[in-house]
Amino acid sequence: MYSDYNFAFLDEGSKREIRRASLKAVAIPGYQVPFGSRELPIGRGWGTGGIQLTLSLIGPDDVLKVIDQGSDESVNAVNIKKFIGLCTDVRTTANSREATLIQTRHRIPEIPLSDGQILVLQVPIPEPLRIVEPREEVTKKMHAEKDYAPIWLQLYESLVKYKKVTLASEYPCMVAGHYMMNPSPIPKFDNPKLHKADCLYLFGAGREKKIYAVPPHTEVVSLAFDDIPFEPEHFEGKKCRLCGSADTYLDEMFDALTGEKLYQCSDTSYCKEVRGACV
Amino acid sequence: MISTLSKKHKFDAVFDSQKVFRCLLEAMSHPVRTVSIKSYADKLSGGRPAFLALAATLLDNEVGFCIRENDSLSDEITLLTLAKRVPLEAADYIFVCDPIELKDAIESAKCGTPADPHESATLIVRACGKPACRLTLFGPGVDGSATLRTTQTVKDAIALRDAQNHDYPQGLDFIFVSDAGELFAVPRLVGEVR
Repeated sequence: MYSDYNFAFLDEGSKREIRRASLKAVAIPGYQVPFGSRELPIGRGWGTGGIQLTLSLIGPDDVLKVIDQGSDESVNAVNIKKFIGLCTDVRTTANSREATLIQTRHRIPEIPLSDGQILVLQVPIPEPLRIVEPREEVTKKMHAEKDYAPIWLQLYESLVKYKKVTLASEYPCMVAGHYMMNPSPIPKFDNPKLHKADCLYLFGAGREKKIYAVPPHTEVVSLAFDDIPFEPEHFEGKKCRLCGSADTYLDEMFDALTGEKLYQCSDTSYCKEVRGACV
Repeated sequence: MISTLSKKHKFDAVFDSQKVFRCLLEAMSHPVRTVSIKSYADKLSGGRPAFLALAATLLDNEVGFCIRENDSLSDEITLLTLAKRVPLEAADYIFVCDPIELKDAIESAKCGTPADPHESATLIVRACGKPACRLTLFGPGVDGSATLRTTQTVKDAIALRDAQNHDYPQGLDFIFVSDAGELFAVPRLVGEVR
């Protein structure tokens, strides 16, 4: 461990403030609790909200997994894992079942997470109403009054114009019947995993200085009209070129030489697990 | 003569407070689950070590707290955390050792505003007495509904909170702690099945 810094890098006052905000966030599911986002040795917008949450949660007994777009080996994931490892000495893993803390960007692992696991999501824009209202004081009032008409109108306009809701990620959802929440830029394929899950979801937005949460067994409903149900991405007729899974979220790749479109599991650790089981 | 200096508390501000926080987070996420902070509270000396362990984990000079009936505990918390002593109406954390104070604490505690519901009090209540009551809870964190055995103080606290008719998202969050260092939490959205 790099001993020039406190355990988990942040000073204890910073951790305490983030911990207090996290507890309030759990008590008020979906509500964005403001906090004093700290400076970190990476730029804001590169996962600093998630990192601050992870650093305030982590202890020597934890097992950490970090993923970026489903991958354990992307630059962002590897560097965050190295940084946290450097200032905590905790064990890291790529196995979603083994991890007690999972920090992620843009994906929720394919396997259902269990009771006791905590998923920390990095969030660039936590406010689902920002797209329709730029003023923070107004969006706070809209949340207080459950005034979500502009978002419903946006979905309706999308239906009128394109015959479907064109949001692919950051698909808004209602949490515990009150707050509209941005589930972070996860594909809408992952939205149902938030509903009545066994694990705790914590969301951190470092640049926007907000923390919010979805506790276990909490109702999370993606927005939909009575006659037009919520529709996640589907991959009919396609399967992972490596493991053959047909029920996972697939990345589309393009072979420049042959012009062929290839599909592969976005969750690399799940894909490896399936391939291991097949051997 | 060689004399050695020893610290009053053995509680580690980094590692023990992390452990207590994770216990709190687990309790707040799973409202019917009881977790134990005894092994960490035992590292603190004083009248109410479990309260002190929670104070050491959550409080500092950024927040205000109130204890009406126990000046010595107030002094200990101030010494330990540098948190501000404030009136009941302004407190972020209210420690209730005696059930007699419960009614006043719940009626006076700040419940936040519709736009800023996080600016509400967390009540840390001593769950004293025998666990002779059954409490069935529902809400976020509870799979359907679940029952636990608890004390009359806890039943009374929830009944008093409900009598305030706070309009969600306004409300109060409870952490109940026994003398044995066992705690469970009841956030504002979690209610009793009656």
